[in-house]
Amino acid sequence: MTSERMLCPVCQVAFLLKEEKVPGKRVVCPVCGAVLTLTEENGSWVLRRPKDMSPEEEIRTRVENFARLRGYHFNEMKEPLIEALLKKYERYGDFYCPCKIDNIPENVCPCLETRQGSVERNGRCHCGLFWK
Amino acid sequence: MKSVMLYALSTCPFCKMAKRFFESRNIPYNFVDVDLLPEEEKEKTVAEVQRISGRRAFPVIVIGEEVIVGYDELRIREALEK
Repeated sequence: MTSERMLCPVCQVAFLLKEEKVPGKRVVCPVCGAVLTLTEENGSWVLRRPKDMSPEEEIRTRVENFARLRGYHFNEMKEPLIEALLKKYERYGDFYCPCKIDNIPENVCPCLETRQGSVERNGRCHCGLFWK
Repeated sequence: MKSVMLYALSTCPFCKMAKRFFESRNIPYNFVDVDLLPEEEKEKTVAEVQRISGRRAFPVIVIGEEVIVGYDELRIREALEK
């Protein structure tokens, strides 16, 4: 079993994967909490977003993993924000931050400023999904 | 009575809370859901929001001369009472 640097297709950060590599295995990105599927493509291992999860299952699992990894909490704003993220997914093709106008990779939930510690500084993320 | 302008996104829960805040208190306010504007108008409005708030995130609330970035009920109350 060898460790390998793998790129998360959601947050675009590389991390070291130490687990045994099996095609189809589920992996959680330690940076953004995304659930990913280990896939072998052209002789290399890559991580892909899961094709067998509904959008709702994917974003719920991602934000719950991220909160667990960082020790953050949710409150009554969670459900309206999950709905809003699903609306963004329907309209713009990905889970872009519901409170930002730009539908760009750095605003995919959990957005870059949240991954870079805005919850630590402000007590919550801009939208109010993650709370310290 | 001070003028109140709310720059919002239709997808943003804090923006909805800001609308409810003004409505439940019968405070007259204007608002725009920036993401629902036609493209050209959207660009102009986002540029204005960025100029006054320094960000491209919502809500942005302008009460009189004061600009409040994000939903901060205490600051809204204070700005209305000043």
